[in-house]
Amino acid sequence: MASVQPKIKSKVQCVDGEIGEIVHVIADPISLEVSHIVVRANGTQRQVPVATIAAVRADSVELLCNAAQVSGFPEHKPEDFLTSKQVEIPHLENRVHVEPGDLLVPFPVLEKSCARRNFFAGFIHVIGALIGLPLVWPVLRFITAPMYAPYDNRWIKIGNVSKIKTEDVGVQFIFKKSFKDSVLQREEDKNHWVVKATPETLKKVYTHGDISFTDEKGEVVWVNKQTVPYVAFAGKCPHLGCGFKWRSHKTRGQVFLCPCHLSIYDAAGTVLDGPAPRPLDILPIKVSATGEIQIIDVEYKAGKKEQVRIA
Amino acid sequence: MMPLLQKVYDFVDERIDLKTLEAKMMKEPIKGGSRWAYVFGSVLLFIFVMQAVTGLLLMFYYIPSADHAYASTQFIIHEVDYGWFILSYHFWGSSAMVVMVFAHMSQVFLWGAYKSPREMIWLVGLALFGIVMAFGFTGYLLPWDQRAYWATTVGVEIMDKTPIVGDFMARFLKGGPTPGQMTLSRFFVIHVMVLPGALMGLAGLHLFFFRSAGPAGPFRGTPEELKAKTDFFFPRQVWKDIVAMAAVFLTISSLALIEPVVLLEEAKPDPGDYHPEPEWYFLFLFQLLRWKIFGGEFGQFLGAIAIPGAFMLLLAALPFIDRGPERNIFKRPIALLSWAVVMIGILVLTVSAIINREFLD
Amino acid sequence: MSHPATAISSVKLAWALSWAAFWTGFPFKMIVALLLLAAQIHPWEGAGLIALLALSVPIDIWALGLTARTFFLERMGIEVRGPAGIGLWWQGAVLGVVTLGLAYYAVGATAAVCQKAAAATLEVVNKVIPIPVAEQITIELLMWAVPTTIVAIILLLVWLKLFGWRIKRFAVASGQTSSAGLQERVRAWDGWRVPADPILMLVSFTAVAVLLTVAFWVLLPVTTTHRHPDYPPPPTDAGKKKVKPEELLKKTDTALAKAEAVLELLEKEQAKEKKKKPAGTGH
Repeated sequence: MASVQPKIKSKVQCVDGEIGEIVHVIADPISLEVSHIVVRANGTQRQVPVATIAAVRADSVELLCNAAQVSGFPEHKPEDFLTSKQVEIPHLENRVHVEPGDLLVPFPVLEKSCARRNFFAGFIHVIGALIGLPLVWPVLRFITAPMYAPYDNRWIKIGNVSKIKTEDVGVQFIFKKSFKDSVLQREEDKNHWVVKATPETLKKVYTHGDISFTDEKGEVVWVNKQTVPYVAFAGKCPHLGCGFKWRSHKTRGQVFLCPCHLSIYDAAGTVLDGPAPRPLDILPIKVSATGEIQIIDVEYKAGKKEQVRIA
Repeated sequence: MMPLLQKVYDFVDERIDLKTLEAKMMKEPIKGGSRWAYVFGSVLLFIFVMQAVTGLLLMFYYIPSADHAYASTQFIIHEVDYGWFILSYHFWGSSAMVVMVFAHMSQVFLWGAYKSPREMIWLVGLALFGIVMAFGFTGYLLPWDQRAYWATTVGVEIMDKTPIVGDFMARFLKGGPTPGQMTLSRFFVIHVMVLPGALMGLAGLHLFFFRSAGPAGPFRGTPEELKAKTDFFFPRQVWKDIVAMAAVFLTISSLALIEPVVLLEEAKPDPGDYHPEPEWYFLFLFQLLRWKIFGGEFGQFLGAIAIPGAFMLLLAALPFIDRGPERNIFKRPIALLSWAVVMIGILVLTVSAIINREFLD
Repeated sequence: MSHPATAISSVKLAWALSWAAFWTGFPFKMIVALLLLAAQIHPWEGAGLIALLALSVPIDIWALGLTARTFFLERMGIEVRGPAGIGLWWQGAVLGVVTLGLAYYAVGATAAVCQKAAAATLEVVNKVIPIPVAEQITIELLMWAVPTTIVAIILLLVWLKLFGWRIKRFAVASGQTSSAGLQERVRAWDGWRVPADPILMLVSFTAVAVLLTVAFWVLLPVTTTHRHPDYPPPPTDAGKKKVKPEELLKKTDTALAKAEAVLELLEKEQAKEKKKKPAGTGH
């Protein structure tokens, strides 16, 4: 507890009589003690040092000096002070109790300038924003690096044409695709469908001419030509990516049928029925002299009308 | 723009008394004024945040399995865009944190800011120091190259020498009698979840205790001088803190560019030509243990556990032993001398360890 | 009445100014160093070092000027007329270069002599009492490092004393005593930190920093410059010849067409031969 605890609104007694009352109490932020009392007397407010106090009573305070000396003390300037609630001085309010009213502490002279305060506040925000800035670009690239990986344009052997006995019939080729997944070397089971196409079916497939495949830079990687009578379809339905099958349909005969949402395609991959937005995706195909089928495992985004290559 | 911000401010202020909160957080008068000497605590917080951010980013690609830890770290360095920079920043940031911890502890010690009524801040601070060293120790293992593996093996073996609890502690950390996958998993969890949580909790407590006691301020100056220079925590001290943070950020980035992380070969049970060594901030202890008086079982216990342990206990007891109110370091010759001896001792032993490398072949 | 400048020791004065000025300039020099490093130029050698030193000159002049003014006003109550940075900096620099040159020889010589002495002493001592390697390293280190450090500190103090003496003369010559009280003087130097046009200053600072950041992004290498020997860089596409599939197919087509044409020609000739033969039988 601080040594002197004058209360606000106490009457102030000088040696020659009562002169007024306490309107403010000022504490020293370093010593955490009361340093001055502000006395309203004769219409002015005077800052009286605490050394002048002789005694503190419940509702009055006795001073050592007389009324004339009180008028000699400096006038109180409110703009030089803050209340103890407006600043954070640890333990001050525990030690000094001056109710009713607020305890005053000196307003640090350096903090009085609004220009200074605003400038440094602004500078803090600027530097704060700029500290992180050099990292923004590297971090964005760091996180997105694998998101736009270059396409895998490797030729993969999936089987032999000897497996295909009939024309215009979908034949499934299941194979193991090995690939590098970040640092892991993994293998996945994949399947695609190959059709030995009749000239009419081929015509349907190549209605828009040769089918070319590009890499991410837009350069042509391969062109499928009508001279090759085999057509390879990617095993994922272009609707939402499910695996489809070659089945007998009740009314349409032998078709590609996707069990998820019942998209139906013919041997040329054209959409016969169902929610598929585009025909079956065709893969780059190479057939060797011995009948080895090789494809590039191209993947397109599901659910879109145009083909957007993603892998 | 400004009237809109003012409206938002008033809206929030009505509901949570933002003005008083602002006053309590920001309008803390610092007697003697804001000082550059006081920035180290805030700088430590900044470095921690940067480590958390870069560490989080590294976790996008790091695989904490003995099979893939090395490969995934090399993947980050060689195949992820700017991965080398993020990893090197994280690596040098950890060194910067240790340097700043020493700077912060030294500043508090020299300013006598551990004395009453700030004993609890000091004790929590010592715990935080232990956590920072633990961060460095656990993180070092994760790349799983020869340096990482062997530094950890030797370090855990040293901990094993602690009486009574040593064997339990060593087995707990290793996840078994010998280092392997369990060790890596445990070190990963400790490094990534346990220590960050502990650090955040204790740092909060540290700040709370600090704000309750108030800053100690300069150790010399008349009341008139102190009052003339008094200013608030915000903006001037915060500004100094943030400039120091910017300088540290630039320094760590520069180090990352000068000396990016290059791993040794993948960890093997046989050290081969590689001479195990801990991180640079443990080198002084490592070198001390090479002295003959610390040879043998009792000697190792003495040098690795007893003496460092006694030193830490001394530091913990410091505010209770040193009760003199004098905070001026130039009037505390024992304190100044002890600090100098300890710092120079650590420096000399660290340099000795570096020189010793030539004698190992 | 003695000038306030004479009250403080030269060494303390020079130290206070140099220490503060060094750290004031540090963040700006770090920005320069970081940009050089991003461009893969080493700031401690060659062109990088020259660039760093050249840019450090204006930074140091500004920092020293600001620090000197503040110190003079607050601690000595002296207001400096005109620029303080340049006047002080070149004196410190000249003295520094001279002392540094001296230090290079003095410190170098001390280190060399003490190292030899330490090695020789330990060799002799080892014959009497064998000292283990680790302890020997530390003892030897202390034997040459302590004298070397003492010499270095002495030379530093010499520089500080001389610089401090020049600073005092500067303060006396170009400063005038201020009659303002402590609070007023503190407020004055604190107020210098606030620019006349804060918004302009903040905006231009931000603009420059953003530009430098973009430069950093452009310069920073995407992949590490210190590759592990087991991870060689991937082969560049420039080496491989590009396969143009359309051209390939065209080539195949033309080859086939040619072959067909040749075949037809051969068949025609064969047919002609066959026709000719029956007509030509009998000679």
